Amino acid sequence: MYIIKNAWLSLIRNKGRNLLIGIIILVLSIATCITLAIRSSADQLVNSYNSKYDIEATLGMNRDNMMKDFTPGEKPTEDEQSEQEKPQMPEIESLTVSEIEKYGDSEYVKNYYYTYRFNMNANIEKLSSSNSDDKRMDKKADDMNSGDFVVMGYDSYESMSDFISGKYTISDGEVSSDFTSDSCIISSELASSNDLKVGDTITLISPNNEELTYDLKITGIYKENEEDSDSMGQMFSDSANMIITNKTVSEVIRTLDEDISMILSPTFILTSEDVVDSFSEELANKGLSEYYQVQTNLETINSETASIQNVAHFAGVFLIITLIIGGVVLFVLNMINVRERKYEIGVLRTIGMTKLSVSCQFVVELLIVTFISITLGIGIGSVLSVPTANYLLENEIESSQQAQTQVQQNFGGPQGEEANRPMGRDGGRMNGVMSLDKVTSMNAVVDIKVILQLFGIGLLLTVISSLSAIVSIARFSPLTILRERS
Amino acid sequence: MNVLELKNVSYMYDDGNEYVLKDISFAFEKGKVYAIKGRSGSGKTTLLSLISGLEKYKIGNIIYQGKELNAINLDYYRSHSIGIVFQSFNLLPHLTALENVVLSMEINHIKENKKEKAIQLLEEVGIDQTKANRRVLKLSGGEQQRVAIARSLSYNPDIIIADEPTGNLDHETENDIMEIFTELAHKQNKCVIIVTHSKNVASQADIVFELKKSSKRK
Repeated sequence: MYIIKNAWLSLIRNKGRNLLIGIIILVLSIATCITLAIRSSADQLVNSYNSKYDIEATLGMNRDNMMKDFTPGEKPTEDEQSEQEKPQMPEIESLTVSEIEKYGDSEYVKNYYYTYRFNMNANIEKLSSSNSDDKRMDKKADDMNSGDFVVMGYDSYESMSDFISGKYTISDGEVSSDFTSDSCIISSELASSNDLKVGDTITLISPNNEELTYDLKITGIYKENEEDSDSMGQMFSDSANMIITNKTVSEVIRTLDEDISMILSPTFILTSEDVVDSFSEELANKGLSEYYQVQTNLETINSETASIQNVAHFAGVFLIITLIIGGVVLFVLNMINVRERKYEIGVLRTIGMTKLSVSCQFVVELLIVTFISITLGIGIGSVLSVPTANYLLENEIESSQQAQTQVQQNFGGPQGEEANRPMGRDGGRMNGVMSLDKVTSMNAVVDIKVILQLFGIGLLLTVISSLSAIVSIARFSPLTILRERS
Repeated sequence: MNVLELKNVSYMYDDGNEYVLKDISFAFEKGKVYAIKGRSGSGKTTLLSLISGLEKYKIGNIIYQGKELNAINLDYYRSHSIGIVFQSFNLLPHLTALENVVLSMEINHIKENKKEKAIQLLEEVGIDQTKANRRVLKLSGGEQQRVAIARSLSYNPDIIIADEPTGNLDHETENDIMEIFTELAHKQNKCVIIVTHSKNVASQADIVFELKKSSKRK
């Protein structure tokens, strides 16, 4: 107890010396507090951002494995090349609904959906490119009896990722929320060239059998927004001949025409980014062809938060540099301090105070200064860090609100105040975008975690910088000190 | 009865090439004032350092109350068994006279009535309560030495060791300080060992030892 009392007396009666150390620790505390608060805030923002997007896994081609099984053709002879001599890629079987359901039944999957893609003819004129190469391609497609129009079948808003991303937006009407109705949406170019409007009906015709037809009512007209779709020599957008309908329509058509070729593209919503590898392994164990591979949107999500993570990284580097410089300065100051107080150490040792007790007194003195400085530093740091973190937070909230409104508008949904109304299945989540938990409070910026970290760092710095004092005290001979003084 | 005894003690510093003390034998009893005289460099302060446990001896024996000094805890010995008074007082300048004495008691784990005992000790050596509450740097040399003596008595040691205690003081104050030491020995039965080159101090001691410069190292 007397050690603490003596340390306190020494502190308050040597104000100049301790004030200098206190100011240095105060500056360090403020810098550290702001840095920790920014890091904490940045982490919250990153988590908030990540929560906006689900981890989506799709099944894409594994080109490496395909190339391994690639059969190169023999060198052509002067005679006509036989079929066996042509280079051949391995045959890949399309996924079935039962396979997708099997893959979706996983502890790593929160939800899954799939889309149909197939070709049909229709009772309307398709849009042809002016490019001669494209015409040849169209001719070839006609010869293959594949159909003039690409038909996409979705089962929910969630599955319509091109509308969520903003590639397509509704310009008239809407995407029907009834995903079992005989409805469709068509491109504005197709509607314009065939003089079609919302409420009209088009008839899909099987490319295999003209007797097999299916009527769909147009509920919406969409347009493609991506600028790069207008490539050289191409009059129309990529989606000009695409008719978008729902899963039920697709399944009925497949029932009617068993010969029709349909591609199923599944999307699995994973529980977290940590399970991607496990999920891939599970699919392989469940029999997924080696020509498929799991692809995710992780890279896209990470690129969204890259700037915030950069801020956190910068804050981390700044923190380390601050602590190193601060630690060195404190260490040197303590060395000078101890040299100045050699006489005091000598007296204390002469009157019987042990080395340990003298060391304790010096550490207690530094701890008291550190505690007071850190407490002040937390106060000042929290005041300064609030506007900084608020600035980051406001930008983030603004951008997320814009994204939310944009997605609703893409579906022809309400605008303005109404735009904040949840949309999607069960009136709620749609790829996480609608259910974003906004961080609106700054209370968490300098929270108990930051305070504890700060005191932990302060304690560590105190111990490190006290080492010089402890070593000197252990080394000094009281007689030598007193003799030098005499 | 001997409270402290030196038997054939020789000492040479690690970085030295000659013995500072050679073959010294003394015996000290309670109730007496001893003066150790000698010229500069004769080893007076070194002898005091060995007796007070500030340095460890390597040759010979120093016996405190029947025990080899090197074998006991020297921190405890310094804080309980001996009181040291230096020529330059060696008080803590940021503390008051009273706090210097109280701190010494606290180091010795004295728990009861520290402040009252300290005031009483200071009064016994001529420091009143007003001066007791002053920082030591605001006291005169003689007053600081009185505080140092009070501090050395704060834990009631058997032996008081003083290194040139009056070296920085005038003749009148020297006599006052010596009066205190004499009273401590004769009335409180302390063993007072004073290292000095003052003839006046030596003349007031009960027993005088004289150190002569030792021989070169072989």
